[in-house]
Amino acid sequence: MHMADALIAPAVGGAMYVCSAAAAGYSIKKVREENDPKKIPVMGIMGAFVFATQMMNFTIPGTGSSGHLCGGMLLSALLGPYAGFLTMIGVLLIQCLLFADGGILALGCNIWNMAFYGCFIGALLIWKPIMKNGITKGKIILASILGCVITLQFGAFSVTVETMLSGVTELPFAAFVAAMQPIHLAIGAVEGIITAAVLCFVHEARPELLYCNEQAEGEGRFTFKNTVIVLSAIALLIGGVLSCTPLVSGNPDGLEWSIEKITGSTELDAAAGIHDTFASIQDATALLPDYAFKGSESVLGTSFSGILGGLLVVALCIGACYAFKFFKKKKS
Amino acid sequence: MAEIRMEHVSFSYEKGNYVLKDINIKAEGAESIGLIGANGIGKSTLMKMLVGLNQGFEGSVLVDGMPVEKNTLNEIRKKIGYVFQDSDNQLFLSTAYEDIAFGPKNYGFSDEEVARRVARALELTGITHLKDRQTYKMSGGEKKLVSIATILSMEPEIILMDEPSIALDPRNRRNLIHILNSFHQLKIIASHDLDMIWDTCERTILMADKRIICDGDTKEILSNRELMEENGLELPLRLMK
Amino acid sequence: MNQISNAIYEIHHMDTIASRDQWVNQIHPLVKFVLTVTYIAMVVSFSKYDLIGLVGMMVYPIAGFILAELSFKDSLKRLRIVIPLVCLIGIVNPFFDRVPIQIGDITVNGGVISMFTLIFKGIFTVLAAYLLIATTTIEKICYALRLLHLPEIMITQFLLTYRYVTVLLEEVNRITQAYSLRAPNQKGIHYKVWGTLTGQVLLRSMDRANAVYESMLLRGYDGSFSYMGKDIGITVPDVIYMIFWLAVFIIFRRYPVFLIVGSLF
Repeated sequence: MHMADALIAPAVGGAMYVCSAAAAGYSIKKVREENDPKKIPVMGIMGAFVFATQMMNFTIPGTGSSGHLCGGMLLSALLGPYAGFLTMIGVLLIQCLLFADGGILALGCNIWNMAFYGCFIGALLIWKPIMKNGITKGKIILASILGCVITLQFGAFSVTVETMLSGVTELPFAAFVAAMQPIHLAIGAVEGIITAAVLCFVHEARPELLYCNEQAEGEGRFTFKNTVIVLSAIALLIGGVLSCTPLVSGNPDGLEWSIEKITGSTELDAAAGIHDTFASIQDATALLPDYAFKGSESVLGTSFSGILGGLLVVALCIGACYAFKFFKKKKS
Repeated sequence: MAEIRMEHVSFSYEKGNYVLKDINIKAEGAESIGLIGANGIGKSTLMKMLVGLNQGFEGSVLVDGMPVEKNTLNEIRKKIGYVFQDSDNQLFLSTAYEDIAFGPKNYGFSDEEVARRVARALELTGITHLKDRQTYKMSGGEKKLVSIATILSMEPEIILMDEPSIALDPRNRRNLIHILNSFHQLKIIASHDLDMIWDTCERTILMADKRIICDGDTKEILSNRELMEENGLELPLRLMK
Repeated sequence: MNQISNAIYEIHHMDTIASRDQWVNQIHPLVKFVLTVTYIAMVVSFSKYDLIGLVGMMVYPIAGFILAELSFKDSLKRLRIVIPLVCLIGIVNPFFDRVPIQIGDITVNGGVISMFTLIFKGIFTVLAAYLLIATTTIEKICYALRLLHLPEIMITQFLLTYRYVTVLLEEVNRITQAYSLRAPNQKGIHYKVWGTLTGQVLLRSMDRANAVYESMLLRGYDGSFSYMGKDIGITVPDVIYMIFWLAVFIIFRRYPVFLIVGSLF
């Protein structure tokens, strides 16, 4: 589920950062409003808890494989949507930095795909309405499984959409969706059951720890209607930002988009290919105006030039680094 | 002068189910008091009452003449340093320096004053070399000393310790005893390590069955086999054989 | 070693190499952070057929590994996670995209090119991220994030999580080991104890959170963390380092340097 940097275009990554940041900003505001100084240490340690327990392997009966805990849903049920969301961001950041599980540029996507759905939809649209008239074991199981399945479906679908929009795969959209959704349906069900087991235990041992307990009637500041409005606003925002993708992806290199259009289109003669593309870059930027690809006329061709050039540049780079280090050491 | 006074104090987490009953303690000056008793007898509960972590008790608890209640907590917590049993809970920041500076910073001291206090606390515990070390890389003994330094930097008049020698190897334990003996604050040390109590405290309070059974000279209490065994304890190792 | 001990080792190991007293490690964290993000963004911005241009971007990780004296072998562990994922997505490209593309004098299917582009993007971005984390401690990265005005509450929460990740991993490790010693023939945790086993850890973690909170309270905590960590100033070498690499990135992003250099001969 963690997306790597390679799978996304900068524009998609940036757009998702914006969306995740908006959700984070709202969550921070909400957590500050709660004004509970205990929340911070609890969030910190629950983040560590989720990180650690996601490494536990739970044997799935009847199969040889094992499942894991669903962090988003668990945190929602314990901390509520806002603190849960912020906590998940911390977990994802550690996974990204320390274990390369998810990329830095893709972090915005990953926060959205896993933390946002897991916490906002999981807590506000599933956990809270179900627990409205008190918490029971059956309701916990229902909410956990439903929550995990639904949020994972949303997450998996978002992964597909983000990858498609980034244009890294030629896989038809329908095929991609057909591959992603059923797998995550199964994963979601298993994660849901594991999460339910843990939450049921908490419900028996220390029910006061669960979100929505007692204060069921509560403030009701965040009604279903509000949630729908906020969600659709966010959906519009994503749509808006993503539809600008061609424009944005042109930056910082204004040519990139048009190049992609040229090289990507079938009208282009095979003979023209990359060569022309490069030539057009030269012309357009005009920094090396009279530059010509000698290699294209030589027997060995440009591929040789490319390899030779590559070797030379890399050798030069390595040499320069060692020279730099040598002088650096000498100086100190 | 530091002073603690508990009069007819009772405490319960749930109504009617008392954890502590009719506790009376008076301590002052530079006394060093050992608090002993079997597991779960309420030693930690008692100490937490002094710093206002367990509120809603009956009776009166006074620290330096101030009653422990909501609006005096800030003042009282400045005077009392509390060393937790699990050092990991006390050291929640990344390096020793940050953890030791946390208290003074929160009380709004200037940067120079914070630095001075940290340096002094490190010196008193003999761990100046650990200043910038990351917490998770430290041994149990080192963590304990840093934990103690985190409260010394607030220059407390009173120090409360919960099982300070637990999980320390013999050498670190010896070092801890040595350091504890160099402090001149009013100390209350809750522990099962009776030999350490013997070495660090001149006065001992023995608790059993929610009450204080005995309050007096350490050596007298700890060497009274009958009294100790009656209350679920044993003689210190040095007195065995 | 099991997965959990591995993770603990990995965290300690990364911290050890990041806190080495080394030239690249001393560069201002904000500079390294910005460079890393810029590099990654530029790498992924290459079009799917621009393999030659993309390959040129390898100069940054190569130079970084040499300058920071990092072992390439260590970073392989991280590539192991990403490469299969990227390959899985990329492997279908040759089947769906049969547009003939000429690379110099060779004509290949567009799908093959885009597959390799994707794989290289995967490798470069992971290496760049590794370069950042292997030369910058988590505390310093947080310092950089602070300079970028990330809200204090997020940084504090992140640092706390980082601080307790190892503590809780060890706790989970102890429990799963104790469990597997008494359930020798099971690969994971039996479904009958899913709830109790994990729930126990959860309750203990909550108690720990409570104790941490109390220990904060007793040292004057009132809900806000005052600024922590030492100030790090940006020096002239930092600026030069930054400008140099930004220039390199832009040049390699705009021109197929490898081709240009090669065709000079």
